[in-house]
Amino acid sequence: MRFTDLNRGLPISASSDGSPDHAGPSSLASGSVVDGPIAVTNGHTNGFGPMTNGSAVMGNGVQKRGKMITKVNLPGTTLYNDSMVDREEFVRLVIQSLRDVGYIESAATLEAESGYTMESLEVSQFRRYILEGLWSKAEVALETLGVEDEEGFWDAKFLIRRQKYLELVEARKPTTALHVLRNELAPLKVDPDQLHTLSSLIMCSEPEDLRNRAGWDGASGTSRQHLLDTLHEYIPSTVMIPQRRFTTLLEQARSYQRQKCVYHNPRPNTTFSLYTDHRCSKFDFPRITTTILEVHTDEVWNIGWSHDGNYLASASRDKSAIIWRRGSSNNSTSPGEWTAYLVLRDHQDPVGCLAWSLDDKVLLTSSEQVIKMWNASTGACIRTLEDHTETVTALAWLPDGSGFISGGLDRKITIWNADGKLRDSWGTTAIRLTDFSITPDFKRLIAVGMEDVPPYYPPSEPTRDGSLPPGGVSQPVTKAAHRMLVFDLATKQTEFSVKFEGDLTSVKTSEDSKYLLINHSPNEVQIWDLRTMRTIRRYSNLKQSRHVIRSCFGGVDENFIVSGSEDATVYVWHRESGDLLESLKGHGEGSVNSVSWNPKNERMFASCSDDRTIRIWEAPGPGMYAQDASSEKVPVQPSSASTLVEKGKGKTKQASALDGSEGRVDSIGTWIAHDHHI
Amino acid sequence: MGMSYRRYLSGERIYGCSTCKTHLATIHSMMSRAFNGQHGRAYLFDGVVNIVEGEPDDRPMTTGQHIVRDIYCIKCQTVLGWKYDKAFEPSQKYKEGKYILERNLLVDVQ
Repeated sequence: MRFTDLNRGLPISASSDGSPDHAGPSSLASGSVVDGPIAVTNGHTNGFGPMTNGSAVMGNGVQKRGKMITKVNLPGTTLYNDSMVDREEFVRLVIQSLRDVGYIESAATLEAESGYTMESLEVSQFRRYILEGLWSKAEVALETLGVEDEEGFWDAKFLIRRQKYLELVEARKPTTALHVLRNELAPLKVDPDQLHTLSSLIMCSEPEDLRNRAGWDGASGTSRQHLLDTLHEYIPSTVMIPQRRFTTLLEQARSYQRQKCVYHNPRPNTTFSLYTDHRCSKFDFPRITTTILEVHTDEVWNIGWSHDGNYLASASRDKSAIIWRRGSSNNSTSPGEWTAYLVLRDHQDPVGCLAWSLDDKVLLTSSEQVIKMWNASTGACIRTLEDHTETVTALAWLPDGSGFISGGLDRKITIWNADGKLRDSWGTTAIRLTDFSITPDFKRLIAVGMEDVPPYYPPSEPTRDGSLPPGGVSQPVTKAAHRMLVFDLATKQTEFSVKFEGDLTSVKTSEDSKYLLINHSPNEVQIWDLRTMRTIRRYSNLKQSRHVIRSCFGGVDENFIVSGSEDATVYVWHRESGDLLESLKGHGEGSVNSVSWNPKNERMFASCSDDRTIRIWEAPGPGMYAQDASSEKVPVQPSSASTLVEKGKGKTKQASALDGSEGRVDSIGTWIAHDHHI
Repeated sequence: MGMSYRRYLSGERIYGCSTCKTHLATIHSMMSRAFNGQHGRAYLFDGVVNIVEGEPDDRPMTTGQHIVRDIYCIKCQTVLGWKYDKAFEPSQKYKEGKYILERNLLVDVQ
């Protein structure tokens, strides 16, 4: 279809009418004819030069190059009447693009028809002189290119002569190079330091050495092209259009559309089309509960995915940790089915932290001051580590896999070998740690925590107003200060320290090691830029007062921020704009304590809650909506998936999408509710 | 109830739970030593940390009728004393919102 359309527009209608000879005498070898129209087109664009195209044009008798084309005279100077686009600029960019890809004839035709030329002969010569290293000619040509100011002119000259000099040094012609340095570069009155640096390069014995020291990749590298790009800055862009200008503009359009796409989470191999504005569908976003994991008998406080994305570990107040697996090995191949693969029960107290080793073979858990190492395939406890004297609040493997780090309310940061041997200790830090994170580049450790509650001096007169605070856990007598510390991992020195008013309960680092995500009570998630040590984004709407609430980055390019909240809701924000995208309901009463995005599946994350469950959130996928109209049985895989029971270890209940989510009116919600009534 | 970390106090003298050493109060917030609890001597504090408050309960005391709540250690759940919600005698009003910790259930911690 598309090919036919193309052919209609082109004079080369060689084989669509089945008579390849029309394409011109030399255009087709006999073998490619039988391959059909597409092979012919390919032959033209790739295999044959412009002359072949030219002859095809002549063969069809449409026009003869250059002669029969008459200039089209158009009124005005813009592309359309109501357009801001200057027609000449537009056409010249099109000509440039055509020429870049090799449509030489079309470019010439367009030049003739529009009356605009991409660039003058002088410019193309200048370009050629630079690329071919004809320096004196290039300098002469430069005079004609309208460099605006005197200084710019000398700068451009200097750049050309510098290249000339470097190439001579590279070619081991020191005498000529020296001559250039003395007689051509020195008279340009450049900065003496710069000249000195250049002259020192003449001592380079090896071309390789020169290239390294000059930060320059040689005559046969990209240096001439690079020089040309730099020279563009001095030559008016109307005279010499910057390279690939049209593509640059299109890239900008793409980048703009990408920024505006708040649900941006494209599937792999998604391409950018010029035909429509790019926009990811909200329905491709993981906003539907596809599974509810219910085995824990008390609040679930923390969760973490294995690096391969196939396992999820959970830590609960019920003193156990569970490793969940997607798909059971024996009796089911359904990918939507989850099983409580291993229940780890040796802890004496509630379990708070989890950390998977880089190869996913070992899982670390902590409960109060005790750390345990588990074999993640057998569930056997490998070691119990007791170095901390207060609650362990953070565990993380080192990015090189050689060991792991633990931190706790006892102010200690301890480094362990992968086998559980104590390696090193940080000593006592200024804060009681509530969490830490290591940057993936292995350079920094960022710790958050609290200082001790300072002594409280009651007022001399006891208050007698009789007003009562509401019941529950009592508030601290006075407020403790909270602090974030950034350490250099190599030196253990504090690079940065900042005080906060409210509790800091979670810290994560971005994949690129440049940003931090922290939960700050009350009701705030913040992103910090590690280079400037400033807050660059704040996310609100969540509820966080006195509990440990955790957040995470997620999605393609970590475009999203997700956090738990004390109001039983999962909040999702667009990272860049800070816009709230989703308030996901479904968890029962209490806090959503932690969230974790699947490291291998950009359309899946998990949340855990005081309601004793873990929810898996996924994109509904197009199939679910198609089923909607036909009121078939719910196709969401987990709803029909069988219930897994590890004998005597409780039940895993699989639930359908949005089961238990009340009052959420969208197409899926209503649809499922409807289905339940059937 | 959700996950929370225990608070840590600083000062010259810190009272902790005798069972699990969890920090509870400092001497700076002590208002009186002249109280009696179920286990003997008890102290009145202006503020206490790391406790959970029980349900309000009407209780006759030697100083008159009061509404009080039992208070438990957040870590080991031991009953440590009580909190005064309301005192009906005008002379006892100063105790409202304050906490009683029983001396025998406290230890010095640092």
